[in-house]
Amino acid sequence: MADDNLYEVWGDTVDSRHLLAAIAVGAVCSLGAFFLAEHLLTGWVESTQMARAYAMLLGILGSLLGGGVSACLFKPKRHVVEHVTDPAWRLQVIEELRAEYGGIGQLADLPPEVRNELRELGLEQLFDNAEPATREMPRHAAPALKGGAA
Amino acid sequence: MDALFDQILIAALMGVIGAVVFSAIGLISGSDETTTLAPLTLLVVLLGVPAAGVFTFFLAGAVAKHMTHAVPTALLGIPGDTMATPLMREANFLRNLGVPHIALRKMISGAVIAALVAVPLAVLFAVLLAPFGDAIKQGAPWVFLAAAVTIAYFSAGRWASVLALLPFVLVIIALQTLTGQHGVKLSVSYFLGIAIGPLIAALFAMLAPAERARMKRSEPRTFSLSPDVKGWGGWFPNPLKVLDRRQAGWTLATATVSSATFVFSPVAMTVILGEVVGARIKHAYHRLTSVISVRNGVTESTYIAEALIPLIAFGLPLSPVAAGPAAPLFNAPPRFTVDAATGQVNNLHNLLSAGEFLAFGMLAVLIAILIAYPFSMNFAHRAASFVSRRISHEAVIATFVGLILVIGLWEGGLLGLLVILTIGLLGGFLYRFIGFNIGVQFMGYYTAVLSVPAIVALFA
Repeated sequence: MADDNLYEVWGDTVDSRHLLAAIAVGAVCSLGAFFLAEHLLTGWVESTQMARAYAMLLGILGSLLGGGVSACLFKPKRHVVEHVTDPAWRLQVIEELRAEYGGIGQLADLPPEVRNELRELGLEQLFDNAEPATREMPRHAAPALKGGAA
Repeated sequence: MDALFDQILIAALMGVIGAVVFSAIGLISGSDETTTLAPLTLLVVLLGVPAAGVFTFFLAGAVAKHMTHAVPTALLGIPGDTMATPLMREANFLRNLGVPHIALRKMISGAVIAALVAVPLAVLFAVLLAPFGDAIKQGAPWVFLAAAVTIAYFSAGRWASVLALLPFVLVIIALQTLTGQHGVKLSVSYFLGIAIGPLIAALFAMLAPAERARMKRSEPRTFSLSPDVKGWGGWFPNPLKVLDRRQAGWTLATATVSSATFVFSPVAMTVILGEVVGARIKHAYHRLTSVISVRNGVTESTYIAEALIPLIAFGLPLSPVAAGPAAPLFNAPPRFTVDAATGQVNNLHNLLSAGEFLAFGMLAVLIAILIAYPFSMNFAHRAASFVSRRISHEAVIATFVGLILVIGLWEGGLLGLLVILTIGLLGGFLYRFIGFNIGVQFMGYYTAVLSVPAIVALFA
């Protein structure tokens, strides 16, 4: 897979040559199914309108077939890696949460069921260290007060 | 008695089909609700499926999709669809903490609880609003105009969107006049053009050298797939045990509130109600898990209410969901119609009673839960891995291009295709550059069809 044809289209990366070919496959399958069905059914089904509705259904199935063929022909342009949690990432999340929410909160404030959940996930220690029970005031209290006075 | 039994059987069958199809679609990132729910529901309508079956197909599909969309959102860090975007922040925090399975379970459990309460509440609100139905139908053209302007103002584009309504509506009227001269009357083509606009705009941009250079990427995107840890026995974990009592309570409360506010954008409601709950919870972890449960609950309840309330009370598509993904329940000529001049409607509103909406609505929700909930609880990791490794984006685009070609040719031949292309390109660029979103574009279509004739009559 040459990387010099990669583009971001509609939210994901594609290879422009594969995209062109996939569109051609999609068009051929869907239109082929639609016209063929229309041609065969018009004589068969009494009402022309119903014949056309069934032709549309088959055309849509044809476009799904086109999608399936394209999926077989062209592999996704994605690197999928199995995610391993890095302890550094966890600490980074704690810092981002502190910045966003203005504090992490005390474990003691949590209902017992939530504490159990944290313990089972092995996250209790992390959150306890983030805001130890001994600290009296959260860090953000001072600026918040100043803002209120001004 | 046999007729009733047949009706229930068809409704259940269509509900199962909707739930299975949309459980699968929910796994594919970027499969927007409008681009998938609207055309498939339309197909079901036009194939002549009985009213109850059309309704259960749509509702079971929407409910199932908003459960399985949690899989890519939680495990891959990419939004499953438009409604999943407000969940990304919390989902990514939990993913980086190494507990994506918690994000997933909280999201789908919130969805189950919210979906179950939303149907009876939506029917109740609809019945309360129904007495005003006649007045609203009489003034329908003006109500649509007001709704279009309001929804435009609350879109990302603000005043730009309000002003962009003018040329957008004008283009639709011009196209209708043109196709009318050739004896072609289109509606589905407009819906599809609007829904698929962003794709059409992106494909055109690919052909322009400057835009093409901007879309160039040096390497494939990297997705990190999180492990999934199963923490229960059996197939069907109790959602009330997955959420703690406060979370269940908040989910119920926000589902109730969002069932009543059916005229606002569902994404906006999801964001706002999540913030309201988040501000009341001190501990960061509890806040993350509560906000994510509540938000995914709201994605279900707003969708259900926004489709059901206008449908039951008025029969007119007067909400962003009703005008977009649920549009074929209201307007799918020749079978379902909304008449501009008289405010007369002939659609599911006339075909089902409030009691039937309640019964079939609950049936659809239960079917969706029975299929999508155990599926996403038990197979999330395998499903996310399959989709990200096997289904290329080229294949997704190829499928949609095929869909455009078939629907366009089926409805209006070459003219139908050209209308999809024109509306898609215009709408797609307006969305991309000024935030004139799909919901506003649908309201623009209704303004052209319903309000403009009344305005013209006023000046005639």
